[in-house]
Amino acid sequence: MSNVRSSHYGREIRVAWAIAVKDMRTYYTKPPSLMFGILFPFSLFLSFSIGRNMPLATQIPILISQTLFFASSSIGPVVIPMERANQTFDRFLTSPVSLFSILLGKTLAGIIYGAGVSIIPVLVGIALFGSQIVNIVAMIACFALSSLAFSALGIMFASIPGQTPGQVMMPLNFVRIPLLFISGVFTPIGELPTWMQAVSMLSPLTHTVELARFASGGEAFFGPVLNIAILSAYAAVFLFTGIRFHIMNQRKE
Amino acid sequence: MDHIDFKVRKGDVFGFLGPNGAGKTTTIRMLTGISIPTEGTATIMGYDIQNESVEAKEQMGIVPDVSNVYNELSAWDNLIFTGKLYDMPKAYREKRAEELLRMFDLLDRCKEKVQGFSRGMKRRICIAMALMNRSHILFLDEPTSGLDIQSVLVIRDLITRLNQQGLTVFLTTHNIEEASQMCDHVAIINHGRIVAIDTPEKLKRTVENLQSVEVAFETAPPNVLNELKEFPNVSNVVKEGDKFRLITNAPSSVLTSMWNYTQENNLRLITVNTLGPSLEDVFVRLTGIRPATEEEKTDRMKAQEIPRRMAKR
Repeated sequence: MSNVRSSHYGREIRVAWAIAVKDMRTYYTKPPSLMFGILFPFSLFLSFSIGRNMPLATQIPILISQTLFFASSSIGPVVIPMERANQTFDRFLTSPVSLFSILLGKTLAGIIYGAGVSIIPVLVGIALFGSQIVNIVAMIACFALSSLAFSALGIMFASIPGQTPGQVMMPLNFVRIPLLFISGVFTPIGELPTWMQAVSMLSPLTHTVELARFASGGEAFFGPVLNIAILSAYAAVFLFTGIRFHIMNQRKE
Repeated sequence: MDHIDFKVRKGDVFGFLGPNGAGKTTTIRMLTGISIPTEGTATIMGYDIQNESVEAKEQMGIVPDVSNVYNELSAWDNLIFTGKLYDMPKAYREKRAEELLRMFDLLDRCKEKVQGFSRGMKRRICIAMALMNRSHILFLDEPTSGLDIQSVLVIRDLITRLNQQGLTVFLTTHNIEEASQMCDHVAIINHGRIVAIDTPEKLKRTVENLQSVEVAFETAPPNVLNELKEFPNVSNVVKEGDKFRLITNAPSSVLTSMWNYTQENNLRLITVNTLGPSLEDVFVRLTGIRPATEEEKTDRMKAQEIPRRMAKR
């Protein structure tokens, strides 16, 4: 019986998937994952929406965007510092796989967490508040690209050599919270001054909000094609920058 | 690290002995690809750890100084996950996991979460995980540090058995007794540099003048320590519990002096031993550092445990 399989790429993908499944079993229910990934976006949404004269169906895209943003980007900053502290991250570094596959596995865990949490507002919106998905392709693109980009953002920040989630979450929130205010979450982009519209176009969250609105029958200020292109570009940039930062970390040790 | 250069022979148990902060763990981290050295290379079974890292890592297993098992998973799942990291086919990894759990006497509790296991059991799981891929070389970083005596003996016996089956072992330790008992070759490292490298016996020969006579009196007189220091050919006297160790390069002369001393003072000896130089003598001479006592090691380990527990929260 052979103890190894062939195909380099197949092997890397299988290992990445094994890492993702292990992370799901081990870290999805850890308190920091629940707090930063679920409690935080839902309570932020409630504090924003309660008392506003806005139909819930139109608020659902905002909730979807927030959950995709916070849940996807929280897994890396929770898992990687905890694995550093327990030296389980070293187990990956000493196994015969590339750093890309290791981080791809971590990114996958973030994607599945973000998408899994964000599907709840979609289903609740449809079942209870009459919201609808008029463009399923746009919604799938929104979920896939946003969870990938934000999960990779979390992995990039997790290169900060901390051993507790808080050491990574704090700088990450310095980026996440301001993005909320420039991304058309609280104020539609069309109502922003021109210079703010230009700034908001640079935020990946803007394009998640836009795609979610577009898929739910609303308008996308920048258009879905630009939204998809920019989210794809951010996903690639975050993923590859994250890998570079993790390699730099190894060199610094 | 400061330009270290050494070779480990296939089938050897190679010990890396040094005080805390000497660079033992750093060396292991560079040899196993966790850290990237600023310059230089390392070859594992013919593969360069930087340029052929996948091939090199397929040859090795590593057991770090803390048991890096997944506490939320069972022993079985820990081993299976390791098998997946090495991309072992399902049937093969399950067979191998069962084989190792049986070998390490963990099969009956293999479905329980590791969380409740003792340190010794976790260390055994760690070693089993390192052997999942049938590695040719096993890196062990302080393998018995912080374990109770029984676990220490079990782990040492396991390492010896694995080595007898042909596994090359590279272990770091600050336990001189462990290095002396288990290693075919020892490198003594201090401040990032290898200060000596040879077999334990050859290293001991370098300090042949450090022989000693060990005595214990039925009732030791009050000023015995100073009086023993006055003996001819005695360079130092160390009190170890109820025994006195007289360091000398002429043990027969010291034995004669001791006989005269007991006769003159009407003393009765209950133990007399002549001892050759130990690896500890070599270590102390080369590093100038007294090895940590078991109590000190336990205190240090407890201090390290606190931040780890906080991190888990």
